[in-house]
Amino acid sequence: MNLHLLRIREMVKKELRQLFRDVRTRGLIFVSPIIQLVLFGYAVNTDIRNTTMVVVDHDQTAEARALVDAFTASGYFRVVERSVRPAALVAALDRGDAEVGLEIPVHFARDLAADGPAHVQLIVDGTNSNTGTVALGYATRIMQRYAAEHTPGRTAAGVDLRVRAWYNPNLESRVYNVPGVIGVLVLLMCLLLTALAVVRERELGTLDQLMVSPLTPAELMLGKTLPVAMIGLIDMATITVVAILWFHIPFRGSVLVLLPAALMYIVAGLSVGLFISTISKTQQEAFMTMFLFLLPSIILSGFFYPIRSMPAFFRTITIANPVRHFLEVVRAVFLKGAGFEALWHQFVLLAVLASLMLGVAIWRFPKTIGR
Amino acid sequence: MPDAIAVQDLTRRFGDFVAVDRVSFAVATGEIFGFLGPNGAGKTTTIKMLTGLLHPSDGTAYVAGFDVADETEALKRNIGYMSQLFSLYADLTVEENIQLFAGLYGVTGPRLAARRDWVLEMAELTEHRTRLTADLPLGWKQRLALGCAVLHEPPILFLDEPTSGVDPVSRRHFWDLIYALAEEGTTVLVTTHYMEEAEYCNRLALMNRGRLIALDRPAALKAQMTDPILEVATDDAPKAIEALQHVPEIVEAGMYGRALHVMVTDEAAARASIQRTLAGAGRRVEHITVIPPSLEDVFVALVRRGGGAVVG
Amino acid sequence: MSPHRLLAVARKETIQLRRDPRSLILAFLLPIALILFFGYAISFDVKNISLGVLDRSNTNESRRLIEAFTSSGYFTVTERLARYDDADAALADGRAQLILIIPPDFQKNLDAGRPAPVQALLDGGDANTATIAQNYADAIVAGYSADVVLAGRRVAPPLVADARVWYNEALESRNMIVPGLIAVIMSIIAAMLTALTIAREWERGTMEQLAATPVHRLEVVLGKLVPYVGIGLFDVTLAVVAGIVIFQVPFRGNVILLAVMTFLFLVGALGLGMFISAAVKSQVLATQAAMVATYLPALLLSGFIFSIATMPLPLRLITYIVPARYYVTVTKGVFLKGVGFNVLWPDAVAMIVFATMGLTLAIRAFHKEIA
Repeated sequence: MNLHLLRIREMVKKELRQLFRDVRTRGLIFVSPIIQLVLFGYAVNTDIRNTTMVVVDHDQTAEARALVDAFTASGYFRVVERSVRPAALVAALDRGDAEVGLEIPVHFARDLAADGPAHVQLIVDGTNSNTGTVALGYATRIMQRYAAEHTPGRTAAGVDLRVRAWYNPNLESRVYNVPGVIGVLVLLMCLLLTALAVVRERELGTLDQLMVSPLTPAELMLGKTLPVAMIGLIDMATITVVAILWFHIPFRGSVLVLLPAALMYIVAGLSVGLFISTISKTQQEAFMTMFLFLLPSIILSGFFYPIRSMPAFFRTITIANPVRHFLEVVRAVFLKGAGFEALWHQFVLLAVLASLMLGVAIWRFPKTIGR
Repeated sequence: MPDAIAVQDLTRRFGDFVAVDRVSFAVATGEIFGFLGPNGAGKTTTIKMLTGLLHPSDGTAYVAGFDVADETEALKRNIGYMSQLFSLYADLTVEENIQLFAGLYGVTGPRLAARRDWVLEMAELTEHRTRLTADLPLGWKQRLALGCAVLHEPPILFLDEPTSGVDPVSRRHFWDLIYALAEEGTTVLVTTHYMEEAEYCNRLALMNRGRLIALDRPAALKAQMTDPILEVATDDAPKAIEALQHVPEIVEAGMYGRALHVMVTDEAAARASIQRTLAGAGRRVEHITVIPPSLEDVFVALVRRGGGAVVG
Repeated sequence: MSPHRLLAVARKETIQLRRDPRSLILAFLLPIALILFFGYAISFDVKNISLGVLDRSNTNESRRLIEAFTSSGYFTVTERLARYDDADAALADGRAQLILIIPPDFQKNLDAGRPAPVQALLDGGDANTATIAQNYADAIVAGYSADVVLAGRRVAPPLVADARVWYNEALESRNMIVPGLIAVIMSIIAAMLTALTIAREWERGTMEQLAATPVHRLEVVLGKLVPYVGIGLFDVTLAVVAGIVIFQVPFRGNVILLAVMTFLFLVGALGLGMFISAAVKSQVLATQAAMVATYLPALLLSGFIFSIATMPLPLRLITYIVPARYYVTVTKGVFLKGVGFNVLWPDAVAMIVFATMGLTLAIRAFHKEIA
């Protein structure tokens, strides 16, 4: 390959000028990381805190109130409505005002003191299966603890499970989601900024003007992709810093592990971007193709839909998805402080996928510009 | 001195469609060589092959001595190209565009400064060097595009409809620049569909439906015309042309503003026939005069003679 | 306002749509493809959690405890560890998500009737999966404890919670995803379709042509709306049928209620798309803007998966201006809860407000640009 440094340098300078001159692109580069961080740092939240609860207390005793207090004191539940009518519970769940309903029957305190088991009814809104499952688990545990405290001696000593969560002791979903933003954002930049930029030049006719000059396709490829790679790395650094300083996400690993993975990932993303530019005649087509590529890559990446829960078919597909492997590296480096020995197979897969995609781009790209 | 451009049986097919069909011609160094023809005649495809943008399906072409099929690298260093679409970067400033193309063509150091000043002066953009190209009027943009195309002082310059959409004054100005370049020895190959522009060329190739149908100096092309042309002025051109449809002496009739240009086989007989027919149709004839053929008349006649229709 | 001219516009729009394969794919193929893809690929049901075991007791009782984990169906033993130090590596490179550590004196404690502590190390990275895994582990250990400790001793438990899950009894994530998905997909499709086709009219200058005729801008907007509302209703019908037939999601509510609500939603979403396209007047820009304005908000701020109640207040306020939020409530309400207008009327009001706003904005944008 005959590369001429001056020509590449001029192309890179020109690309950067155009990228930063256009209001829209500037917005994309600077604003979208912020929006994504806010959304994924705050909105994408699977933590159960303050689950809304409606209480129908027929017993109206100190014991019944203590049970409700046990719920609220845990921090997981928040009582939004108290009533003595069972219909209130139904209405609150139907309207979605409450996600959990607790009905304490008359004689609750009496049954608890006597031999007979005291019954309470717990109703969980399963519409959101996710929060439903978790809320149900918490509620069960709270009631077990309540029983142990209020009826000492009657609960036999048994097996006692002491769980310690590593890497994310408070089980905050943000800790998992925020580092993931890096993967999604970098991919978005790589695709948008390369595919659209190349196709736009073709639409405007400037591509021809470049191709009658001595600029070679390889130089054009580098000129188009180097600035985007730089932006990708800058975005990555920005998100990492914000994640650490603002969201207090632990960064336990080494940048030296993250960087080679990021470079391979960026190469893969840029190659896909270039490839899309070779199969799209208009920016419109490029945008649609990109959307069709982006959607499955993100859904099948484990970004917020767990891969483990997918059917075998989709699980197999994810092996060919570089986003998946990159996210695994990012999260392992952030949370677990993992090094190459723990991540070697993600690195191998990333390397294989990136070279494959780069190969396709190098093969297709020169054919579709000019001749 | 060898020819600047030598083309032999150049052909380009897109699937079944033959866009350029066995075209052959040669352009001498320093010549202004015009390509004339309607849209879709194959002019742009020919230029794209000659500039290495498109691979020929058949035939050979040498530009500045380089084979366009496989010596593209050397070829590109020796040509300048300006396309019908304005194809500089609208979101770069005048100077940034110049700098980009200087870099791509390897114009550096003191030569860069000299060439940049030359281009700015030539395009009369020295005072607007820091303006965004998007904000310039079209005529100025075209001058800048020309400047960027000759930054590296190429011996051969390709201009693909360089003045389309530009007002006549700017067009005139643009042609002054082309003459100046040619005087310094640059070979210019230019396509156009403005007939009056074609008159500025040293030699002219007429293209229709992918074929070269004539090639000569503009004056010689006009001289080829043997059939006389009459200008017929009447009170109602559309009705007149309808009335004249079946006059046997008429080869071809067309409207030019309020008058008709009528190509006839025999001047005297046709005059009489036309007078009679129009009077019969109730039209008032203002005058009938013989006029010299324009390039457009030549073009239409040549296409007729070849039995084809004009595309576009 | 003339029904005749309105119909003329509608007819023209339909003919153009019929001849444009890209819009047809977007209108008919993409929605169903997305439903199938999301419906099959996404699941939050936590199964096959990889379990590492460090059994330092190695007795019948400890083996029974491990057996209790595997037979639950939620855990699969992937690692048998020999030393405590191996636990670190097993969690770090993801070979195990949960590590169960049974101390040497496990059986001795149980036999002596003393509490027998068992330790579990949990990979907390993915907080959501981890929380659910923790709940499962708790429940399994509690069940085992009750079995072993109380075996032979007839002691009634002091507190019995009759826990019940409503609306989505088996807590299947599919039942949560499919109805919400209909709302998300329709938001995107509606905005993109109109953005595409109407921005095209601006680009080609046919909008000025239309403005030169006596047609009133209200007629233009409504006339263009008609075919898209038709398509949208068709898409939703298809999606609902797919949800019921393919994904077996229960449909407990009233079809007519859903149809009316869908109509209101579509008018608003399409109006928004028309406003965007009239405002930016370029297909590329319009699709991008439509994407930004609909995709992420509909996905993340609609309560589709991520519960709005757990978001911080500013984001919670933003969700009120996300039309998909109301429609998600409607689809989930009608599908799963089987609730009627008496519960969903606030959402209906919100959607009417949106429809009015969308149309007004669209009409005003047209007015300004044409005049």
